[in-house]
Amino acid sequence: MNRLPAPFGSRIDRSRPVRFTFEGKFFEGYEGDSIASALAASGQWVLSRSFKYHRPRGILSMTGADANALVQLPSEPNAAGERTPISEGLRVSAQNVNGSLERDRDAVMDRFGRFLPVGFYYRTFMGPRRDSWLKFWEPIIRRKAGLGVVDTKAPHRHFDKTHLHCDVLVVGAGPAGLSAAISAAEAGADVVLCDENPEIGGALTYGRYDPEVLSGLASRLEALPNLKVLTGTVCNGWYEDNWLPLIESDRLHRTRAREVILATGAIEQPAVFRNNDLPGIMLGSAAQRLIRHYGVRPGTSAVVLAANDDGYRTALDLLDAGVSVVELVDPRPAGEAGPLETELRGKGVTIRKGATIEAAEGTVGNRHLARIHVGGSWIACDLLTVSIGQAPAWQLPCQAGGKVGYDASTQAMTITLSVGSVHLAGAVAGVDELQDAIASGRHAAATALMRLGHAVAAEPAVTPKSVRPRYVQPIVADAKGRDFVDFDEDLQVKDLQNATKDGYREIELVKRFTTVGMGPSQGRHSALATARIVADATGRSVGEIGITTARPPVGPETLGVLAGHHEVLERRTALHARHVALKAAMKPVGAWWRPYYYGDASSAEEAVREEILAVREGVGLLDVSTLGKLEIRGPDAGEFLDRLYTMAHANQPVGRVRYCLMLNEMGSVVDDGVAYRMAQDQFYVTATTGAVARVYADMLFWNADWRLKVDVLNLTGAFSGLNVTGPKARQVLKALDSDIDFSRDAFPYLSGRDGMVAGVPVRVMRIGFTGELSYELHCPSSLAPSLWDAVMAAGRPHGLRPYGLEASRILRLEKGHILIGQDTDAITTPDELGFGWAVSKKKPFFVGKRSIEMRARLGQTRKLVGLQFPAGARNIPGESCLVLRSGAPVGQITSVGYSPSLGRHIALAYVHADDQAQGSRVTVKCRDGELVEVPVVAHAFFDPTNARQEI
Amino acid sequence: MAAGTATRVYPFMPGGAADGTRLISGAVVLSDLTDKPRFGLKGGGSAAWLAAQGIPLPAVNRIGEHRGMRVLRLGNEDILLLAEGVEATLAEIKNGWQAAPAPKGYSSWREEGWAWMRLSGARLAEAMSSLCALDLRPQKFGADDIAQTRVGHIEAVTFRSPTGFDILFDITASAYFARAVAAVAGHADQHRG
Repeated sequence: MNRLPAPFGSRIDRSRPVRFTFEGKFFEGYEGDSIASALAASGQWVLSRSFKYHRPRGILSMTGADANALVQLPSEPNAAGERTPISEGLRVSAQNVNGSLERDRDAVMDRFGRFLPVGFYYRTFMGPRRDSWLKFWEPIIRRKAGLGVVDTKAPHRHFDKTHLHCDVLVVGAGPAGLSAAISAAEAGADVVLCDENPEIGGALTYGRYDPEVLSGLASRLEALPNLKVLTGTVCNGWYEDNWLPLIESDRLHRTRAREVILATGAIEQPAVFRNNDLPGIMLGSAAQRLIRHYGVRPGTSAVVLAANDDGYRTALDLLDAGVSVVELVDPRPAGEAGPLETELRGKGVTIRKGATIEAAEGTVGNRHLARIHVGGSWIACDLLTVSIGQAPAWQLPCQAGGKVGYDASTQAMTITLSVGSVHLAGAVAGVDELQDAIASGRHAAATALMRLGHAVAAEPAVTPKSVRPRYVQPIVADAKGRDFVDFDEDLQVKDLQNATKDGYREIELVKRFTTVGMGPSQGRHSALATARIVADATGRSVGEIGITTARPPVGPETLGVLAGHHEVLERRTALHARHVALKAAMKPVGAWWRPYYYGDASSAEEAVREEILAVREGVGLLDVSTLGKLEIRGPDAGEFLDRLYTMAHANQPVGRVRYCLMLNEMGSVVDDGVAYRMAQDQFYVTATTGAVARVYADMLFWNADWRLKVDVLNLTGAFSGLNVTGPKARQVLKALDSDIDFSRDAFPYLSGRDGMVAGVPVRVMRIGFTGELSYELHCPSSLAPSLWDAVMAAGRPHGLRPYGLEASRILRLEKGHILIGQDTDAITTPDELGFGWAVSKKKPFFVGKRSIEMRARLGQTRKLVGLQFPAGARNIPGESCLVLRSGAPVGQITSVGYSPSLGRHIALAYVHADDQAQGSRVTVKCRDGELVEVPVVAHAFFDPTNARQEI
Repeated sequence: MAAGTATRVYPFMPGGAADGTRLISGAVVLSDLTDKPRFGLKGGGSAAWLAAQGIPLPAVNRIGEHRGMRVLRLGNEDILLLAEGVEATLAEIKNGWQAAPAPKGYSSWREEGWAWMRLSGARLAEAMSSLCALDLRPQKFGADDIAQTRVGHIEAVTFRSPTGFDILFDITASAYFARAVAAVAGHADQHRG
């Protein structure tokens, strides 16, 4: 066990052991351990195999930002082992192995590196045939190069989204972020502070700092109710107008902040030398995180590579953790010894100046670090910590418009943001020292507060007390290679150099050719080194080379978080409970739930047939409440409809109902319905269920454009509709208590009346879809159940039956009535439907008029007609089956069904314009490929003279 | 269209469209006010007629008060009166409007087209944050503010009430809305503490 005693291990609870498996082997850790820390505590350092060469890899950063420690969980691929907590019974396995992590058959790839030169992909997968990529190479690569495996049977998880608004969002709760958030909140701003770690403090929680600093900041923070702290929360992007997604495990906070302070810190950079990827070689901060967060001793015998104070502090931490520090290697030339150096020497640590690590060697199979080569000799060790420099965490600042530069005097990567609502604080702004970071947080807060209108004193910008050029490692390709720049993609120094030799001199091209920075770490550990290599190779400065564009998301995010939770939208008519009580088979039609038929599923066909029969021979009742209902009111109401619809409405008499057909501006039919003129200045207009939202929106648009004196009101939910239809419909209505005269002469076809029926105020229209005598009764929705009950009671002596959508579909098909959207498509013109009668020739304008005239001049190619299949026809084509003419498709079936009234199948179909005459025979291709010949008939299959609806 | 003698049925009543759907209570409480009196006018002449009755009209998307009623100005010519507990006052105005000659605007039928629900409870702010994308912090969205927005993924009008937020939305989506709020309250529970 590599476990250290308390107080090391701030994140773990030693009283709660947790058992889990890795690669089928049992391991034990503590509550609070990450997968990587628990495995490290048990001596398991190899966590994965590398992408290309299948080399063993282990902990590099302990931040979860690279591919080294990605693991497979049962239902989650590519889980960051360094950040994912262990849980009881969790089954963890390694990724990208052929066989097992220990015995990876693809480890042999490491010996064939020279056959996989940079650009190998582009050169190889081009051929030999044009489809080779798709048919041959891609399937192989998918199998070989995958990271994790998606579990298609993963149990459902709950995700949700919420919204968060604040005056100031601070990203990163390290010293700078804490200081910024506290300053802003103390001034009274509404502040949100988020950090991806489970606790606040950032480097203060694992670095060698006075614990009083963090506890002081934490107690100030706790006293601020207007400071909301979100730990374990990743800020995964910056979008326009300070919109930022904060991901707190399975919850997405869609955050809008007036001011944003990015205190995202710095990313410690690895050193480049041969075999720099061996397990046991890690960043200094990774060793510190293991020690302080998890109480894990990162090794027994360490060499420390230190080109800055952090490295010296790491060495002191290692000593505290009982690790023997064999030597500290400082590549900088010897100079005046600082206090840290003096302290280390005092503890007997050998410090070698002006030297660097030239190579490392591993144990058998490169499973762990065995020794390192320094200044011409080998030193045995099982741990090498690397502290040679850092790069600012540029991802979020760059997304917010920041420009990356390079300060040649300090040899540091810099980020510049233009003046605005996004500010930088701390290490990301190039600040090194703790007190400077805290001051820079205060400065950023003051700037943000002033922009918010708070009266605060200006804080001076932070100028570091001592400006020392940072150490820059000279990067020279090792003759034997395996000096990795990008661990995710197994890219070595020579790969990048070769790319520039091939002419890829610009960083964006180098990236695409070599795939550098395309792996999970997205260049966090490679971008700076790459820029330096390319700069060297092309004789330019690092600033001129720059880094590749950073785009959201900053890190991986699950599709579940993006999707969130959605209740399925559902709309119910006011009669929903009535249908359910009558055992209706309710089915969703768009968002609406509608009765399909009434009765048991076992006798569905019979129920539909009986419902049709009731309408044809007696009387039926249909809930038409889903129809769109619009009221057009105002002095210009008639003129408004005249411009919107194809028929004439301005001259429509009060009390009359007219069909209305709506075209879009290209002359295609988009909706139909009826308009009932209730008063000179008031029309009640219906629209199809599916189109009303769009029709209403279009009406509002045109109303704003035309500036007529009109108000448009959508009454779709406010009013319900009941269609009473069948030869006995009038008898039923006459039996109801009403002030409306339902007699044929007093209430003729295509007229409308207002009045009371059974104590319910109604708008009644004599219209219908069934071809029978038909009244549509519309009433306020809260009264619809009462009206329904009254109609049902009055209809009982006449055998009234409620009928559903399926019967309605057949009834209308028997009459050849079209359904917009089913029998029309995006280019259907009125002429193709035979609706010339519904298009006014006299009106100077209506929407689509010019287009249908132009399209008429192009000639008509197709026509919607009826097709009647012979009784007993064996093979009936389905909807969308093609209509052929001389073997070429000319149209398609749009509706088809069995007509019980006719005893045969009937259909509506587009046929060639020359085949539209009754009696023409057209060829239709059935689902099984058989061609059948069908005669064309008039639209109305049933009651062609329409006598029944006018009785 | 005067009200008749027939019984009115609203979604959450027995026999209503959302009958059987639970209205959640606890840390998040959803209550139904759909049967409470309200009356709206919309279209040319609405504002002038109401003003002539001595009803002070607030600016668009603001709420005013008149004899215990809340006066919601949803548009220049789109005004809604909410008369929780002052039914008689509203009836007086409504009767006056029915008897009045045009121009007087047109009924907006909000009492039929819109459900009226109230969200309250200890975790109200959290629930509202999940349901609505707007900045509803008290300093940003006051007692007399109206938001015409989306709540629970559907179009809605929302504003503060003494105990929480009132929400007006398409009455046909009542059952859906109750489910959506319950789901949000469930998430709030999961993230507690």
